[in-house]
Amino acid sequence: MKLEIKDLALSFDGKKILKDISLSVEEGEFLSLMGPNGSGKTTLLRCIMNYLTPEHGAVLVDMKSVHTMPDRELAQLFAVVPQTSQMDFEFTAYEMVMMGRTPHSRSRFSGLSKRDDEAVAEVMRCTNTWKFADREFSGLSGGERQRVIIARALAQEPKILLLDEPTVFLDITGQLEIMDLLRELNKGGLTIIAVMHDINLASRYCSKIALIHEGRIESHGKPEEVFTPENIVRIYDVDVIVRKDPLTNSVSVIPRNTSSISPMHGTRVHILCGGGSGGHLASDLIDAGYAPSAGVINVLDSDFELAKDLHVPVVTEIPFAQVSDDAYSQNQKMIRESEAVVVADFPVGPGNLRNLEAAMLALEWGKAVFVMNGDSIGDRDFVGGKAGKIVGDLIRKGAVTVNEKRELIALIGKKLGR
Amino acid sequence: MGKQAGSDDRFSRIRQRRVGMLLLLLDLLIVSVMLCVFIGYAGMSVSDPLIVQIIGAIRLPRVLLAGLVGAGLACAGMAMQAVFRNSMADPFIIGVSSGAAVGAAAIGMIGAGIGIGGILLSFTQPMFAFLGAIITVFAVYKLGTAKGKVHVDTLLLSGVAVAAFLGAMTSFMIFVANKQYDILAHWLLGSLQATNWIEVGITAFPVIIGILIIFYYGRDLNVLLLGEEAAHNLGGNPESLKKTMLAVAAIMTSVAVAFTGIIGFVGLMIPHMMRLVVGPDHRMLAPASVLGGASFLIWADALSRSVMMVPVGVVTALLGGPFFLFLLRRKKLRGDGE
Repeated sequence: MKLEIKDLALSFDGKKILKDISLSVEEGEFLSLMGPNGSGKTTLLRCIMNYLTPEHGAVLVDMKSVHTMPDRELAQLFAVVPQTSQMDFEFTAYEMVMMGRTPHSRSRFSGLSKRDDEAVAEVMRCTNTWKFADREFSGLSGGERQRVIIARALAQEPKILLLDEPTVFLDITGQLEIMDLLRELNKGGLTIIAVMHDINLASRYCSKIALIHEGRIESHGKPEEVFTPENIVRIYDVDVIVRKDPLTNSVSVIPRNTSSISPMHGTRVHILCGGGSGGHLASDLIDAGYAPSAGVINVLDSDFELAKDLHVPVVTEIPFAQVSDDAYSQNQKMIRESEAVVVADFPVGPGNLRNLEAAMLALEWGKAVFVMNGDSIGDRDFVGGKAGKIVGDLIRKGAVTVNEKRELIALIGKKLGR
Repeated sequence: MGKQAGSDDRFSRIRQRRVGMLLLLLDLLIVSVMLCVFIGYAGMSVSDPLIVQIIGAIRLPRVLLAGLVGAGLACAGMAMQAVFRNSMADPFIIGVSSGAAVGAAAIGMIGAGIGIGGILLSFTQPMFAFLGAIITVFAVYKLGTAKGKVHVDTLLLSGVAVAAFLGAMTSFMIFVANKQYDILAHWLLGSLQATNWIEVGITAFPVIIGILIIFYYGRDLNVLLLGEEAAHNLGGNPESLKKTMLAVAAIMTSVAVAFTGIIGFVGLMIPHMMRLVVGPDHRMLAPASVLGGASFLIWADALSRSVMMVPVGVVTALLGGPFFLFLLRRKKLRGDGE
């Protein structure tokens, strides 16, 4: 089985919604159609299911057009899970699922066959809805309802399952429940095409992504090929950082703060950090218009990863090594070029004690020095009190202690006249 | 997936029980017809020789018309609730009653002007009521449709707005034609008084055909409730189904109200009560609504002519108002419980 979409175009009220979309879906694929609101993804889904007829182009399944297929054949090929399924009437979950058998009965008056009863029981067991089969549909929770609707779709015995934002009204438990169920069904051989909004959920569960923007497919491929920072900023106009989800190794997208960006003035601020203590400070300084740099950080440190994603200049050291003379002098060079220095609240060991010593130099060179959470140094001192002593000296010699990020940005601004 | 715990008989048992309830409703209707022909203010004993004449010429047509109108309104109400996917819809929602009232009031006013009255009025009034209803429904339908697609929300609001407008027109015409007010008031309240066999005959044909059409689409109405995409996916044609149902329900109710006037709440209440008895599946619910609606209106009319001495529309409204509020409360309480 192979689904092919060829040069599909459609407009509403003279506005082009789909512009020559071509896409092919292989059997057993789990494809997510994604894109901003109004990009045309739901329209595309509706064309695939033949609910809408395109102006030109075709949807072919094994070279047969869905637009000329008899209703019953179509209903046994595709099953649809719509975005919302409200029900004002008191149908039980069982009766809802039984409606999925409609395309299988010979005439509208033929009674239910044993096969229908068995098919319903089977899909309700595999969607884990059998235990509340006799409960009223409208009294179920959102996740339970969605599972019943999926069971109803499965009762059609389709080859391809089409879903329009199946998780949109669900809490996180419900979302994972539905996506886990879809993955199980997909493993069993069912081809799935779903319109989705949550990038991280899609990249975790789907095998392919088609990114749609203004009626065109902008990118199509595996999640890691499609979800690049370049694609996302182009299509969603949001700066993101792309990482690997530590649990599943799937691509995970972290949006950058976009709400409070100040005009860029490029004042240099150097951050002494490591172990995840400084990356978020760099991000906030960028948002406030500064041009931060950082050092000395070991490669693969989480601060290193973030600095790289934020394009922050950084002095690096090889993983797990002590700060070398070379790195130390590069760090000093960056401090000289900066107007202020921030000492992040990193744990201090023999390997990075030199980062604290660099702060002493900065003070001597007349730079404004800010110490994050200086009071907590006792808990972070793994060099037998040496770190505590340096921090004490820093504060005595005029470094400012700060406990909060927002306070830090405000104090730097005041000190440097920004 | 094997057959753990068997494929379960409980669902087929429920279906059997519901079929049993349908048979019970059929029995109830037969008994109702037989009993109610003996109820009336003539208060005669069965041995009176006049009784046969009265039953044949007056009571039987009246009972049959009540049955037909009750069945038609209930079945059309059920269809409207499915089309609007809203259990609070009724067959008058698309303007039937307000349009019929304007038609009836118009002929009352014209009649007062040119001197139509008595027999002639009792003949022309149903015609005008029917025309008023059909024209109004068509207007509401046009207002609620865009590019050949029926938008049920717009349709609903159009119905409400048109009804309010026509209500004012009716009041104005009643005010102008105060001479004929008596006949009109009876009609507006809904009355089965002075029914004859001609009326039964004229009403029977469209109501029975309409009921059969709705029976035919029972399964499609179920699927329609899943939403248009899903209904389309399951092989139905929701757009043409909605149009067919609107047309059938409009004609049935227009005919039903033409002779009897506006008998409210039957079309809302009966489908609801029947859902409690046979469940929401339209293949069961449609026949149940027909049987239940017929029995209900036969008894309501019997009550109206014997005990309460008021038009039947008053009886149904007196029962229906509180019932509607009960449903609303029940729904609200259930909704909050979720």
